[in-house]
Amino acid sequence: MDTKRLLIVVILVVAAAVLAFVFFRSGEEENTKQGKAEFAGEKDRPSEHPLPRKTVTLFFLSEKDSLLHPEEREITEDPSLVHMAMQTIQELLKGPQNGLLSALPYETKLREIFVTKEGTAYVDFSGEIQDDHISGSSAEIYTIFTIVNSLTFNFESIKRVFILVEGSEKETLAGHVDLSRPLLPRFDLVIN
Amino acid sequence: MKDHDDYGRIVIESSVPLSTHVEQHTALFLVRIRASRQFVIRRESFESRFVKSIGWAKGSDYYMVTVNASDPGFVHDHFSLTDPFRLIIDIGPPGRDKGKTGKIQPDPPKGKKAQDPDPPAQKPVKKSAAPGREPGEPPASPPSVPSQGIRTIVVDAGHGGLETGAEGKSGITEKDLTLPISKKLKSIIERNLAYRVVLTRDKDVDVSLDNRAAMANNNRAALFISVHVNGSSRKSARGSETFFLSLNATDEEARRLAYMENNSSEIGEKIGSDGEDDLMMILWDMAQSAFIKQSSQLAENIQDELNSLLGTKNRGIKQAPFKVLTGVACPAVLVEVAFISNPEEEKRLVDDAFQNRVAEAIYRGIANFIRKNPLE
Repeated sequence: MDTKRLLIVVILVVAAAVLAFVFFRSGEEENTKQGKAEFAGEKDRPSEHPLPRKTVTLFFLSEKDSLLHPEEREITEDPSLVHMAMQTIQELLKGPQNGLLSALPYETKLREIFVTKEGTAYVDFSGEIQDDHISGSSAEIYTIFTIVNSLTFNFESIKRVFILVEGSEKETLAGHVDLSRPLLPRFDLVIN
Repeated sequence: MKDHDDYGRIVIESSVPLSTHVEQHTALFLVRIRASRQFVIRRESFESRFVKSIGWAKGSDYYMVTVNASDPGFVHDHFSLTDPFRLIIDIGPPGRDKGKTGKIQPDPPKGKKAQDPDPPAQKPVKKSAAPGREPGEPPASPPSVPSQGIRTIVVDAGHGGLETGAEGKSGITEKDLTLPISKKLKSIIERNLAYRVVLTRDKDVDVSLDNRAAMANNNRAALFISVHVNGSSRKSARGSETFFLSLNATDEEARRLAYMENNSSEIGEKIGSDGEDDLMMILWDMAQSAFIKQSSQLAENIQDELNSLLGTKNRGIKQAPFKVLTGVACPAVLVEVAFISNPEEEKRLVDDAFQNRVAEAIYRGIANFIRKNPLE
């Protein structure tokens, strides 16, 4: 009886230890996973020291020619690719600062980005990107490729971009460019 | 195809054992089936939360079933059973119970697609290259029946109806200009060439992009010319340019591969026969990739004439992933005549004489192309 009870106690203690160990370990794993999470989430990083900055290149139009022109911007370095991709598109949506032209309708907002393991970034915009679009092949091509180029140029792990509007797939933005599949960058549209 | 709680199940059944291979490209699942012989394919219609469409294509020694999942994040499991041979593919969100696939399928032996090896005269797609006029192969839904021996050119008047396209300062829109130019082009071609012209629209109506391509394919068109006028947020943007399709080498690779191994003269036979929508759309989806080279030559011929006749700025020939071109199974281009967003060019675009010159230039480009590339 006594030995049996002792055995049970020992088993319970070991079990508790194992459980605690597993619990803490998995907690740690959870943390690292979240750090790398490729889905947008809230950031609550302690800001003891200023966060490192990363320079990104955005693409805009110019009255001078029918090419895309680069403009640099600083974003906050972030272990999350998605956070940096979102900052980049936010900057693109703010428009150019040095006399270039935006190819995106003014009121367009970014809703969400997610990136697959294979390197396809799904970028979801508010309805204005479609409703307020001026249409025309050129306008549409530039709207789309300022987005695609700005993401693929700055982030090596983004290979192609799938543009969504209000969370769903669209045939086209304004009747021309096929949005039913992911798009590769077009650096031939960029100056030089 | 049948939906379960957290996955959709596709059953491909065959009366003979098949060698199959399943691969995934984001939302597109490709099932390659090795086959040295013709199959008769039967399909069941379905509705699914997990799968948008299922189509198939035939390669040189295989069939390919293309499954378009509703979500690119979906994953799949597959396994096969014998007597009769069945390939079972389960598609759904990740993290669902794995055990399922081990169980013998609970579902009926009738699959979404059944295949019999014996080819009893049910439209065996033979390698013979004779296009058109095969018995039992009428075009699916042409606006009118092509007369014997006369080939068709489809002229696509861009936009229409609620789809106004780009807009000029005066309030005139792209759709209002593409229609008269297209009508003028139709009459010049029919006056000068032994072709009939089918317009994708002859009034101000909405026509879907897929239907525009379908008109070309259902009429076995020799050429497809889409007429547009351009728009830009750059006030200075001006000039004429001619586009042909750019292939976006991602998901397409696999599909194009299957397609390119086919003889393009077979396309007409495989398209527009049995009226199954998703089948036709999948095939059209790939169709233009077989004609890129000819399309670029057609674009060049047209652009040359635009340059010499219009006096507009030459923006050259360009490539873009334009939806309306992707499914067209013949040489196909999209002409951007000039910029409606540029007030000067807008004025020219509404001018009847200028529209006639545009039509004349496009016609000459077509005529030159046909001269250099006699169509069979």
